[in-house]
This record gives sequence, C-alpha cells and structure tokens, in this order.
Amino acid sequence: MAEQKTVSTATQVDDPTKRREEPTWMKEARLASWESYLSTQLPGIRDDGWHRTDISGLNLADLRAVDFHSPEASASVSPWVIPALDSLSSHSGVLIQEAGTPAYLKLDSELADKGVVFCDIETALKTHGDKVRRYLGEPADLNDDKFTNLIKSWFNCGLFLFVPPGVEIANPLLSFTSVNYRSSGIADGAVLPRLLVVASEGSRVTLLHSVTAPLSQAVDTALHAGLVDIHIEQAAHVSYLELTEFGPAVYSVTNTRAWLNKDASFTSLTAALGGRLVKGEISTYLNGQGASAEVAGVVLGADNEKYSFNTIEEHNAPDTRSNIHFRTALKDSSTSIYQGIIRVDREAQRTDAYQSNKNLLLGSGAKADSIPKLEILADDVRCSHGATVGPVDQEQVFYLMSRGLTAAEAEELIVLGFFTTVMAKFDHKPAIAWVGSAIASKLIAHDRDSRKQSAGEQK
Amino acid sequence: MTEKEEILVIKDLHVRVDDKEILKGVSLTVRRGEIHALMGRNGSGKSTLSYTLMGHPRYKVTAGQIWYKGSDLTALAADERSRSGIYLAFQYPVAIPGVSVSNFLRAAVKSRRGTDVPVKEFRKELRNRMSSLNIKDDFLSRYINDGFSGGEKKRLEILQMELLAPDLAVLDETDSGLDIDALKTVASGINSMTGPDVAILLITHYQRLLNYITPDYVHVMQDGQIVMSGGSELAHQLEARGYDWVAPAPVV
Ligand SMILES: Nc1ncnc2c1ncn2[C@@H]1O[C@H](COP(=O)(O)OP(=O)(O)OP(=O)(O)O)[C@@H](O)[C@H]1O
Ligand SMILES: [Mg+2]
Repeated sequence: MAEQKTVSTATQVDDPTKRREEPTWMKEARLASWESYLSTQLPGIRDDGWHRTDISGLNLADLRAVDFHSPEASASVSPWVIPALDSLSSHSGVLIQEAGTPAYLKLDSELADKGVVFCDIETALKTHGDKVRRYLGEPADLNDDKFTNLIKSWFNCGLFLFVPPGVEIANPLLSFTSVNYRSSGIADGAVLPRLLVVASEGSRVTLLHSVTAPLSQAVDTALHAGLVDIHIEQAAHVSYLELTEFGPAVYSVTNTRAWLNKDASFTSLTAALGGRLVKGEISTYLNGQGASAEVAGVVLGADNEKYSFNTIEEHNAPDTRSNIHFRTALKDSSTSIYQGIIRVDREAQRTDAYQSNKNLLLGSGAKADSIPKLEILADDVRCSHGATVGPVDQEQVFYLMSRGLTAAEAEELIVLGFFTTVMAKFDHKPAIAWVGSAIASKLIAHDRDSRKQSAGEQK
Repeated sequence: MTEKEEILVIKDLHVRVDDKEILKGVSLTVRRGEIHALMGRNGSGKSTLSYTLMGHPRYKVTAGQIWYKGSDLTALAADERSRSGIYLAFQYPVAIPGVSVSNFLRAAVKSRRGTDVPVKEFRKELRNRMSSLNIKDDFLSRYINDGFSGGEKKRLEILQMELLAPDLAVLDETDSGLDIDALKTVASGINSMTGPDVAILLITHYQRLLNYITPDYVHVMQDGQIVMSGGSELAHQLEARGYDWVAPAPVV
C-alpha cells in the first residue's frame, strides 16, 4: 500500500506541497496559487462566464484531493479501459490513472527515441523538470479564478506531452482517468488533473483524454476540476478530444486553453455526457499569423444535469481563422447555457470567424440558453454566428417511423445525427465512433430507465 | 377467378390538418395485386391521403374509416403501419443530417423483418439493388436525403421500398422531377415489386409514368374527394382534355 498522501483542503493550515517529492520551484508555484486561492471568491452567477451557473451548492472546504500514484511497470490495463482501447484501435501510447492504484503508462519506443515525452505529471516533474518549468513554474496569475488556483495548487493527476520539432505522430495518444471513490476510500473526493501539451515547430499530434467518475451512492459531492494547457508552435498541429462522463454527484469544472503560433492549427472536440453541474471553458488564442482553430462541442444532458460552456476565440494576429460548432441535446429537466465570445484585435485583419450553437430540447423540462458575444476592433474581418433552440423536427421523426423505427429509435438516430455532423469535424475517425457509441449508450440507457419508470407509474 | 383480398378499404374518410378539413369523404377499395393511379390538381388532397394512410400525427381522421388487411388502421402509429407492410414513398423526402443512409437502411430493414440481417449479406443485397437503380456506392455513407438532388431522393425512396417489401405501397409523385432515364429506372423498380399479393397506389400528374406501368384503375381527386374513377384509358383522356373536363377548378 502506498503512503497515505490525502490532504484536506479545508483549512488555511493545509499545505499543498506536503509529502510531495517535487522540485522547489514547483512547490513555490503551488504555494503561490494556494495563497491566491484563499483570497479569491467562488465565482457567482454575476461573474463573467458563470451566468445562470450556480455552483454555490459545492462546498470546497469539504473536499479532499484523491490519491493518485506514479506508474509502475507491474500495472496492467484496467478492465474498464479495454472496450475503449478496442474501439480506438491503433494508438501510440496510453496513460491510465485511477485513484488509489498505480498508473499504467506505455509509449511506443520509436517515439521515445525521437524525443517524444508522454507521461503522468508527477513523472514529468521528476524527470523533465527542464521542459515543464517554463509552463508550470510561472508565478500565480492574478486573473486566475478560484478553480484555476485550486488546480494549480493541488493538482493530483494529469499528464505531460511533448512533441519535438518536426515529429509527426500518426496514431493518437490516449489518456484515461477514473475516480473509483469506493476503493480510494474517500467520501468527498477531488480529482484535479493538470494537462500540459507542447507541440514544437512543425509537429503533429492527437491526444484523446477521457475522464469518468461513475455514479456512486456513497458520494454526496465530488469535484473534477481540470486545467488543460496546449501550446502549439509554428506550423504545428494538435488535435485534442476530451470526453467526460460523470454520475449525478459530480461537479466538473474544466478550463482548456490553447495558444497558437504562426500557421499553427488546432482541432478540438469536447464531449460532455453527464454530471451534476458541468462547466467548461475553452479558450483559443490565435497569436500567430495564419493560425486556425476548429472547435467542436457535444453535450448530452439528462435528468437534472446542468451544463455551462464558454468558448473564447481571441484573434490576435492577421489572417487567422476560427470555426466553433457547439451542440447540445437535453432530455428530461436538464439545462444548458452556452456563451460564445469572438474577440478580434485591431491587428487581426482578415480574420475569418464563425460560431454556431444548436440546441435540441428533448425533455419537457429542458432549457437551453445561448449568448453570442462579438468584440471586434479590426475593420477587415468576416465574422458571423448563429444559434437555434428547439425540439426535434417531427417531420424527421415521422419519416423514420414510416420506415418502421419506433418513436424512441427515431429520436435516438436523429439526436446521434445531430451530434455526428459536428463530430465529423474532428480528424480522427475511430475517436468519433467511440464518442458516438458513448452518446448512443447514454440515450439508450436513459430511454430504458424512463420506460421502466412510466411502466411503474401505470401500475 | 376468385377475387383477391381487399387489402385497403377507405370509407367516407374525412381528414383535418391544423383544423382545416382537407379530405371530405374519400372512399376507395384496393385489392392485392392491383395498381391504382390517383390523379388530380395541385392541392386536391392526394398527399393528404397518403400521409393519412401512413399515420402522420398531424393528419386527424374526423369521420369515416380505414380498413387494412381487415382491421382498423386508424389506431396504429406510423411505425406499426410500416411493420405491418404499408410503405409511403414521400413526395418530399425528409433530410436527416448526420444519419448515414447505410445505418438508416439497416435499422429500417431490421424493424420490418423483425431480425437483424447479417452485415455481409445485407451489403450484398444492397449493392445489387443499388446497381439496378443506378445508385452510386458513396450514397451509403452520405446523410439521408441531405444535399441529394431531386432524382437521387426519389431513387432512395424506391430503394427503401424494395428493401422493405411492402404489401401496400403508396407512391406519391415518385415520377416528378426525374429525367427520362431515371423515370425508366424508377418504373422498372416499381414493376419489379408488383405481383399477385402487392397492392400499389400510384399518385402522379403524368401519363408518362403510366406508359411504363399500367394501372388497373385510375381515380381523379378533386377538393378532397374522388370524383371520377375508371380504367387505364381515363389517364389518357385526362392527358388530352385536362381536369376541367372532370370538374371545374375550385375557387380558391
Ligand atoms: N397544415 C396545413 N394547413 C392548412 N392547409 C393545409 C395544410 N397542409 C396542407 N394543406 C392544404 O391541403 C390541401 C391539399 O394538400 P395536398 O398536399 O394533399 O395536395 P396534393 O393533391 O398532394 O397537391 P400536389 O399535387 O401539389 O402535391 C392544399 O390546399 C394545402 O394547401
Ligand atoms: Mg402532393
């Protein structure tokens, strides 16, 4: 059994660096962010990006950072990952992090020989300090909000991916994180991943990252808060997929940031398939001329789940392009709010930006809001946005039913199709199929539940 | 010769759409093996009848009856009607972005046959039928009717009909918007379906389809009613003389 490293974040006497074997600079950075954390307020519904997103039910003081452990050679692939590995077929490396057990890590030796680094964050701090210090050792940012400070001070899992100049990795790198609350023996756990991706000049890489925390009766509240930083150097390309599936006890707050240099490109797909309150912010900084971003999001809500997503596109250089496609389908009484901001700097002439947000209301209590925001300072730009909110098209349902599909099957197919059109923008086909089947499972499982329920009510 | 089963019996059917009465007393009997052509001016109610037969929830039967294979059809939902052998080729097929034709066809065939068809076998059947309908292979990975040309949509309707092998097929202007070659292809698709047990209700504006498919009966619809019925010669008379010969145009 590994040494018990659980620490409470409850009081000021807590020290996030205690019992961590890390470089001094990292400890200092953790402590600085911890100071900031203690002096910042929990975001309220009047704060930027938190409209109609009430997180006051989450008591941070009650949470404890869950224990994760470094990889061990003896670790084996956990059974819950096997179906995903099968459907994703070829890959270049795998990292599996599960609370309470040693991590599993594998990277193609050919890539390691070329200088590619892919490992958990703890290993990165021990053996690649020189590479990560620039990013993780930075002084606390005064603009960081409560959650960012929390993650920067207490991150307990996550990964580091470094691709040297000119290296193109054809098959994706996979990261799976799971919180098994029972085996970690913690009632109110916090999973705080920190992901750092550095794609050097002219490199190419795809990272698929999934986080699951199954429904557990024993848990009152739990938190997943993640910080994902992606640095894309000149003419490099990163594809990043994040799939999260949480049970009804879990709050999730994720902050994803991508910085794009000259001619860099970024493709991202965010899939949110469950949680009590799921908040995500995806910021893209197009800082180099000719940079382009393709950002897609799919959200499937059910029961009383709440979703709140922001996308921020900052066009800071000329000839930059961004395409945002965010789609939400809401069953039962689930709700969603989407806020899309496009900022175009004075310098960023010939910006081409598009933002679309479509919402399908499937349940009678479902609600979706969409808030577009354009802040344009340049005069030669192409910028447009569109949003729709509405029920499933009954003519589509009728067409499918006229071919023998039941009303439920018809709706499933239509909703899946609704998501497929934006997932198709992600450039890794097996990943699209993998997310598609996760969506289908949620739709089907949920239909089964509601049928059982209505049968029960009739009795 | 013994009379074939009356597969469809419509009696004094009245139908409302959004509180407007469109069908005002339609009566029609169709036996297995028969081909009935239904003609009539734009807006006379032909598509309303076809949607009603398929069970579109917006089309409300306010009076009259529809009997199919001897039982009351009106209580059944569209999917139940499909599984019991009714097929409607839509005048305006609906696009469903994101849903591939191949996934859709598999789901439809599974519903109708009540069992999953092995992938390989299904692919083979599909390929054969597609090639005889001159449908390109890349159709399967495209989204249902999404960005399809008019003719491509109609061909997909025929392909589905062949796969679902209905007992009663209602074809709503499947010939509209087709070039001459496509018309021949679609007509031979329909002809290959005909047989002693299959009944077809063919809605069309043009004699040209009836050059390839000879109907046993021709009916003329006018203002929500069937106002004239006859044999295949009636279609020729309509082609030559227009609808004014049957009944004056209603005042709109
Ligand atoms: N939702 C509706 N509300 C009001 N009127 C409707 C509605 N739907 C159809 N109608 C009317 O019902 C009438 C019959 O329409 P229908 O589509 O059945 O005609 P049709 O005979 O198929 O015409 P066409 O030859 O042009 O296809 C038309 O006058 C149409 O405008
Ligand atoms: Mg019509």
